[in-house]
Amino acid sequence: MKNKLSALMNSKYILIAVTVLCAAFIGTSFFTDRLVAPLRDAVSTVVMPLQKGMNYIGLWVAGKYDTLQELNSVLEENKKLQGQVDSLVEENNQLKQESYELDRLRQLYELDEKYPGYEKVAARVIGTTSTNWYSTFTVDKGSRDGIEKDMNVIAGGGLVGIITDVGLNYSIVKTIIEDNSYVSAMLIDTGDICTVEGDIELMDSGLIHLRYFKSGLEIRNGDKIVTSNISDKYLQGILIGYAKDVATDPNNLTQSGYLLPAVDFAHIQEVLIIKQKKEKLEEG
Amino acid sequence: MKRKLAELVLVLFFYVLQVSMGRAVCIGGIMPNLLVILPVVFGFLNGKNEGMFAGFFAGILYDLFFSGLFGFSALVFVYIGYFAGVFYQKYEQNEMLVPLAVLVAGSFSFGFLSYVGNFLLHNRLNAMYFISRFILPEVIYTTIVFVALYKPLAYLNTKLYSKDKRRMHNFDERNI
Repeated sequence: MKNKLSALMNSKYILIAVTVLCAAFIGTSFFTDRLVAPLRDAVSTVVMPLQKGMNYIGLWVAGKYDTLQELNSVLEENKKLQGQVDSLVEENNQLKQESYELDRLRQLYELDEKYPGYEKVAARVIGTTSTNWYSTFTVDKGSRDGIEKDMNVIAGGGLVGIITDVGLNYSIVKTIIEDNSYVSAMLIDTGDICTVEGDIELMDSGLIHLRYFKSGLEIRNGDKIVTSNISDKYLQGILIGYAKDVATDPNNLTQSGYLLPAVDFAHIQEVLIIKQKKEKLEEG
Repeated sequence: MKRKLAELVLVLFFYVLQVSMGRAVCIGGIMPNLLVILPVVFGFLNGKNEGMFAGFFAGILYDLFFSGLFGFSALVFVYIGYFAGVFYQKYEQNEMLVPLAVLVAGSFSFGFLSYVGNFLLHNRLNAMYFISRFILPEVIYTTIVFVALYKPLAYLNTKLYSKDKRRMHNFDERNI
């Protein structure tokens, strides 16, 4: 009996068994993640608190280091910013007046507000991908907090990405700069449709692709690009970024160029998850 | 048994380090792959079975939260652990160049297979760019981390070894 057991424990047999097991895992992962979901939840209850703790330590250390380094530059910047604040306050007052006027006009025409203030949840980024290939990250809110798949994620006023996986106490955000990410977008003022595509080869430049504008349009550098009204998953009118170097394609039918994202993806620490989903908005 | 538990804890610890500290230590957007180190070290020091054991769990964790293909990294890591185990007890423990060579070969093939699976099939044919921008820097960075970590890990391993039962030793020897 003992001999039989130890014969089975021969490394070659184990290797073959594990290979078959992994192949089965890979095979099923093409179709469903139901096999993995319970395992994920089990591991995440152990790992996520640890990860949160490590993250706090990391942030604390990085914070102390930055404070020392940036003290000087901050003092200088403070002077400059003070001037900017004054001018912004003035500008803000003006804008407020304009927005009051807009409200009045809207009431006058009995228009509903087009973009109601969506309900949002703040979440903290607690982990990045384990590989260099992706710019996906984990946040510390999950199905317990009412997060669902396909909810839009924003930060700093711009679009970050979309929720692709939800666990009990975490969810995974796929960013728009990721290689296989496609977002239907439009020019904010004219509503001309285009597509925003992530590309890993542009990672160093901090830009992503902007494609499929109709030819004949004139798009200047710095034009605002927002999510389009025809997108299935993204809510309309969220700022994605600014157009750059848009030129006519060799086929003479479309134009493409680059987009400078509104969000600084290297330094995201907190994000807002919009609880309103596009599909539900359309149903209701 | 105790050593296997310790290996599991180490895998978990390295995983948490990888996902939380990865962004802090990355150079030019590249972070070292800490998890691939463990199957190499344990395979070389304790034999094929333990290399595969560490590789399997490291790979599963690696896949669990981010990879689209669940089981892919586990498969590659198991093979890396197995091949590291081929050199078990053929060299002295302080002969660091042997596991280092396995690590370089292993993490390069892991990177290349990831590229093929995730990008080549997705019409990103610029292989040289991916090799020079992602795979090789990651291999080099991982190698440097490995050199720093090998001695402490080997020391920890001997500590765990002497406390473990003699039976385990005999058991492993059959699998050389």
